[in-house]
Amino acid sequence: MRRRRFLALSAATLATPTFLRRAWAQAPIKIGMPAALSGGYAQYGIQAKRAADLFAKDIKAKGILGRPVEFIFEDTAGDPATAVRKAQKLVEKDGVKFLTGVALSSEALAVSAKCPEWKVIFMSTINGAGTLTTKSFHRYFFRVNTSGPMGARAVSLYLAESPMKRFFALGADYAWGRDSVASFTSQITAAKKDIVGTDFPPVGTKDFASYIAKIRQSRADGVFLVLPGQDATIYMKQAHQFGLNREVKPIMEILELENMKAVGDAMVGAIGSSRYPFTVDTPKNREFVKRFHELHGVYPDMFDGETYEGLEWLAQVITKAGTDDVEKVIDAWEDSTYEGLEGPFLMRKCDHQAVQPGFAVECVKDPKYPHPIPKILATYPGDKVTPKCRTEEFS
Amino acid sequence: MANAVEQLLNALALAGLLFLVSAGLSLVFGILRVVNFAHGVFYMLGAYLGFTTVALTGWFWPALVVVPPAVGVLGAVLESSTLRFIYRRPPIYQLLLTFGLALILEESIRVLYGPTAKGVEPPPLLQGAINLGGLLYPRYRLFLVVLGCAVGVAVLLFLRLTRAGLVIRAVAQNHEMADCLGADVARVRTLVFGAACALAGLGGVAAAPMTTAYLGMGIGVIVDAFVVVVVGGLGSIGGSMAGSLIVGAAQTWGAFYLPETAMVIMYAVMGVILVFRPWGLLGEEE
Repeated sequence: MRRRRFLALSAATLATPTFLRRAWAQAPIKIGMPAALSGGYAQYGIQAKRAADLFAKDIKAKGILGRPVEFIFEDTAGDPATAVRKAQKLVEKDGVKFLTGVALSSEALAVSAKCPEWKVIFMSTINGAGTLTTKSFHRYFFRVNTSGPMGARAVSLYLAESPMKRFFALGADYAWGRDSVASFTSQITAAKKDIVGTDFPPVGTKDFASYIAKIRQSRADGVFLVLPGQDATIYMKQAHQFGLNREVKPIMEILELENMKAVGDAMVGAIGSSRYPFTVDTPKNREFVKRFHELHGVYPDMFDGETYEGLEWLAQVITKAGTDDVEKVIDAWEDSTYEGLEGPFLMRKCDHQAVQPGFAVECVKDPKYPHPIPKILATYPGDKVTPKCRTEEFS
Repeated sequence: MANAVEQLLNALALAGLLFLVSAGLSLVFGILRVVNFAHGVFYMLGAYLGFTTVALTGWFWPALVVVPPAVGVLGAVLESSTLRFIYRRPPIYQLLLTFGLALILEESIRVLYGPTAKGVEPPPLLQGAINLGGLLYPRYRLFLVVLGCAVGVAVLLFLRLTRAGLVIRAVAQNHEMADCLGADVARVRTLVFGAACALAGLGGVAAAPMTTAYLGMGIGVIVDAFVVVVVGGLGSIGGSMAGSLIVGAAQTWGAFYLPETAMVIMYAVMGVILVFRPWGLLGEEE
């Protein structure tokens, strides 16, 4: 028994070098995407996948470090426990060193917590919860996208200048909704304006009538909404039917294309922040929108843009590091800069939050497009919308 | 006062919608003794088919007429091709089967329609809000109240007054005896399953202008519908009505008066009712 095991082990040891050498030459750089591809949050996972498809096409010819890039998708259905299980499979079975495309903040918090142990990089391109770069921050986490508090900041800066005085805040009852409402409240109060009411409807609320009644009774000028995709669509639809949107201006922490497509004209006039408005007028973005539309037949939504930027930036840092070794990539990424679709990005070393421009946008109709689009009202430089390191305070 | 009226209407509109979904769930349990996890997906299918019909014809009313029978036929076909063969097996088989059907249908809808929610406009007559003595209230929600009541009364009368209703009640009470007396039990089951799916489809069409048609709407509604059926009593249409009113009121009033409890209040109410009547308000003690 013992002898047989010894033989087997030595055979394995002898075989390893040739096997490794062969693999080395063409081993792909694998990027794992445990994304919500089915269920109620599929739209976010599908955005991540669309961006990855375009990126894979763009990078195919040259690869990263001369190696091909391979994306491995897993469906989490938007459930944190499943996300952790699928991420673990990607790391342990497929050997990926980079995880991205996670849709919900609740999933991200669960998966990110495991990454120091797995020694893999978690690149957020969608997740808004402020805590990811504050309380829950660790060396293996990077956030390329604008966070929730940053979005709330961009809107607050815009509202500080507006004649509106009284606000109601309605946030979905989970990490992102609560974080963003808190951030909005402190900034609006600092701008000497009033919060006249706050409520946190559960995620998946399908009847907002009670909340609409309360918002109307509060006599607010505007209502700040932090609702994920489908909830926002339903809210906007119902508020329109109640005639509320004419009385109380809807202000959305994220003003998404998905909502505009589903709600249609009832959405026109809503303002808010956008993590990435596809209408931003830079040469790089115009080119991106064109290629994206050619491949997918639709215009890129917020997380199509943000995920593409993340992937391009990751490729840039791996190239800079000259290796896909996780520790070296982290060192190369810290304090590095990148020219994003909507302007310059900087990856802060202290909390791995990408400093980037923030936008206030309005939903408008444009005959050139089949659905309402985000029109940019104001652009704020990265240092104005990014919180101080590891806090949710702004200077 | 206006506030109280508004809250009452909100509760009634939601109850109307919940009744359309839970009535079918309750019927299927009463007659087939199957807990149908796929029921919510038939509701979702109704909403998506409603969207398609409105997109094709430009009208809302045809959707309300055409979609429920279409969903019903699909339900009847699925019952006679799958469920029929496992009535004698332990309930776990039915759970697996209906759950599997739900997943297959839901993902098929996603593949066909894509991830974006589909908005459906109410018919022009029901658009916008109406002024009820100083209270602005959406016309479409008033329509939901009326629709829920009308369907409820129609189903009750059908079961009480028609011969077919009599046979259905007989099968529900004792299917072996009904079989001996010459009722075609297999056919009754198929028709009831189809009718239940048609009701869910009707609920979906009716819900689409209020919530849009979206992925996951089936799962969301089935949880509420189960609570309605448990509160009202399994297999009882009157119970579904009472349960819908209770759950509708708990959800809307809870969100308004006790917002922090919005998530749990429905279950708290259910718990209290089950303590005193474990078989539900109008269910039959076993």
